[in-house]
Amino acid sequence: MKQPSLMIVDDEVNVTRTLQLIFERDGYRVTPAYSCAEALALLGNGSKKMDAVITDLNMEREDIGFEVARAARKLLPAPVVVICTGYANPVNSRLALDLRVDYLALKPVDVDELRAALVRLLARRTASRKREVS
Amino acid sequence: MARSFLPQRVALVVHPDVATLSAYQLAFSQAGFTPIIARELPMALLAVTQHPIEVAVISSKIAEEGDGWPLAGVVRQAFAPAFVAVIARETSVHTLQAAINNGLNEIYENSVTPNVVVDSILSKLRLSAPYSPKPPRSVHPVQ
Repeated sequence: MKQPSLMIVDDEVNVTRTLQLIFERDGYRVTPAYSCAEALALLGNGSKKMDAVITDLNMEREDIGFEVARAARKLLPAPVVVICTGYANPVNSRLALDLRVDYLALKPVDVDELRAALVRLLARRTASRKREVS
Repeated sequence: MARSFLPQRVALVVHPDVATLSAYQLAFSQAGFTPIIARELPMALLAVTQHPIEVAVISSKIAEEGDGWPLAGVVRQAFAPAFVAVIARETSVHTLQAAINNGLNEIYENSVTPNVVVDSILSKLRLSAPYSPKPPRSVHPVQ
């Protein structure tokens, strides 16, 4: 089975590198991005087809991670979108629901839960695409 | 009167309160849906096995607080294109996170009336792609 591709977007280098190590050990091809702008450039130029995107919310400014989520949602096939934030509030959580984000993880992230969720969501996405084709 | 075998628009409503169920039943009927109502988890699960569900409105509390969330997740898994909403005591970070992580479409607070919930769902359905539930395998549309 091909390695799933995963983009990790977080301006905290330690967080990005730690998640990168964890997910690479799990067999993902990880593309790190250290800002929203970098992530949008990678997603926008189409050079990176992603199966999943994990993004922080507060980077260059508050809640800018939603721009990454929106850009990812426009890709075909749409990747699984996960938001990781330490600053969840009812307003940005409501926006995440309205954007149909696939998973909302609150920092400090339970890595085992995040890994399990990603496996489950990728399996659901694959099954859904198979149904669409058949 | 001849029975229609054309696909129906089915709305599942799961709530422990009979008066609330009746109000939803009326609201969905008036909106052209066939409402399937359940007060308990076993009846709700039976309904999931028997009907092609387009809309589900599920109380976050069926027998005890929180047991509606996994049921809503089951409905999402079984009917990927369906509109699945949960009725919760409040819309907090915790409940919004539960809705997102269960793949649900919407949360409504207990205080919102069934008519308003149904109107809201209908307007959201109009904005999304049309849903075409397949008829049960044993039933063929009359030509």
